[in-house]
Amino acid sequence: MEPAQRIAELETALATAERQLIESYPMASLGRLLAGIVHEINTPIGSIVSNNEVSARSLEMVRAKLRESAETGTPPPPKVLDVLDTLVSLSAVDRMACDRILSVIRGLKTHSRLGESDVRAASLPELIVGALKLACSEYKRRVKVETDFAALPDVECYPSQLSQVLLNLIVNAAQAIEGEGVIRLSTRQAGGMAEIEIADTGRGMTPEQQAKVFQQGFTTKPPGLGTGLGLSISHDIVVNQHKGSIEFESEPGKGTVFRIRVPFTQPKP
Amino acid sequence: MSQQPVIVLVDDEEMVITSIRAYLALETEYTVHGFTAPLEAVKFLRGHEVDVVISDFLMPRMNGLELLAAAKDRQPEAARVLLTGHADKQSAIQAINQVGLFQFLEKPWDNAQLLLVINSALERTRLVRDLARKIAELDAAHSTIKEAQRRLIRAFL
Repeated sequence: MEPAQRIAELETALATAERQLIESYPMASLGRLLAGIVHEINTPIGSIVSNNEVSARSLEMVRAKLRESAETGTPPPPKVLDVLDTLVSLSAVDRMACDRILSVIRGLKTHSRLGESDVRAASLPELIVGALKLACSEYKRRVKVETDFAALPDVECYPSQLSQVLLNLIVNAAQAIEGEGVIRLSTRQAGGMAEIEIADTGRGMTPEQQAKVFQQGFTTKPPGLGTGLGLSISHDIVVNQHKGSIEFESEPGKGTVFRIRVPFTQPKP
Repeated sequence: MSQQPVIVLVDDEEMVITSIRAYLALETEYTVHGFTAPLEAVKFLRGHEVDVVISDFLMPRMNGLELLAAAKDRQPEAARVLLTGHADKQSAIQAINQVGLFQFLEKPWDNAQLLLVINSALERTRLVRDLARKIAELDAAHSTIKEAQRRLIRAFL
């Protein structure tokens, strides 16, 4: 085989491998967060299962006491009221626990609609809250999250793709903060577009790192934490898929601010 | 051990405390003190004798291992249990080695298993306290014998 032909073949194979890597990235990034997502769901499930057992046995006890009081014609003992009070509080806990699980599942559903090729109107705060839920193990109990969402109309976008960008930026922000810190997420209208700002008080980037930020394969994270794909994919999603822009400012030791702008409407195909 | 066993339960999720408290109230006569803030629990451990300390692992400001280490420092006889959804091997090994953990339980927990662990932990605490009391009694008896021996020797000299 001619060397030129061989080079062309290798280039094609490399391009295919690169495309496959990018296509598998969203699920792979979710896989890395899975342990945290399981942890987030385990606590409410533990409560619901425990409460169910306590409720079933308490109801049995209440039934027996009420039956006994009906048979003997005496009022039910005060303990019955105590048990009913406990049941009311357990049912409130169950409601909270279910809401917690539902919010994680909603985040997963939005994120996993990878095959969704249609543009649809989505609420930016909902996408941000969903991504925050998925990334919570990266920041919870360590980093304070502040949100400030302006009243904006829904934005026409590929929701699962935009959710991927938000997830990347939130995870990056959380991992850039060593110990305690703050992530601020806000939305506003700017230059006729919807703007999302994600600011962290993390370690920031040097000018050399900043120059390579959107390059494929570039990462400042330790081995095993970063793939070097997140920001290049985010750039592609925002700029090429949504005709928007993504910019950042960063100062070593102070933190990083990412600003994404996307148009409110997408061109009709 | 005090009249009713005393259990300290620490989890930053109020729902966990409510659920376990309700279950233990149904099944036992144990006194349960629940804390969502680990530092509050440490403060409580300074002034109250407890029998078992159960703690979550991931909590703000102080993790479960730090809390159980503080519990070990203040009340070494009280058995220590880690109840966590963050069940990686590394934290389990750390917990066993650093804080002399009695049991490592995973969330979602099973009520029957939790009760079994609590009852075994109470038994362990009782045995450790009995042992400490017996050692103290032995020490006292030893001192008495020593004193008698000294008096005896003095009487003959």
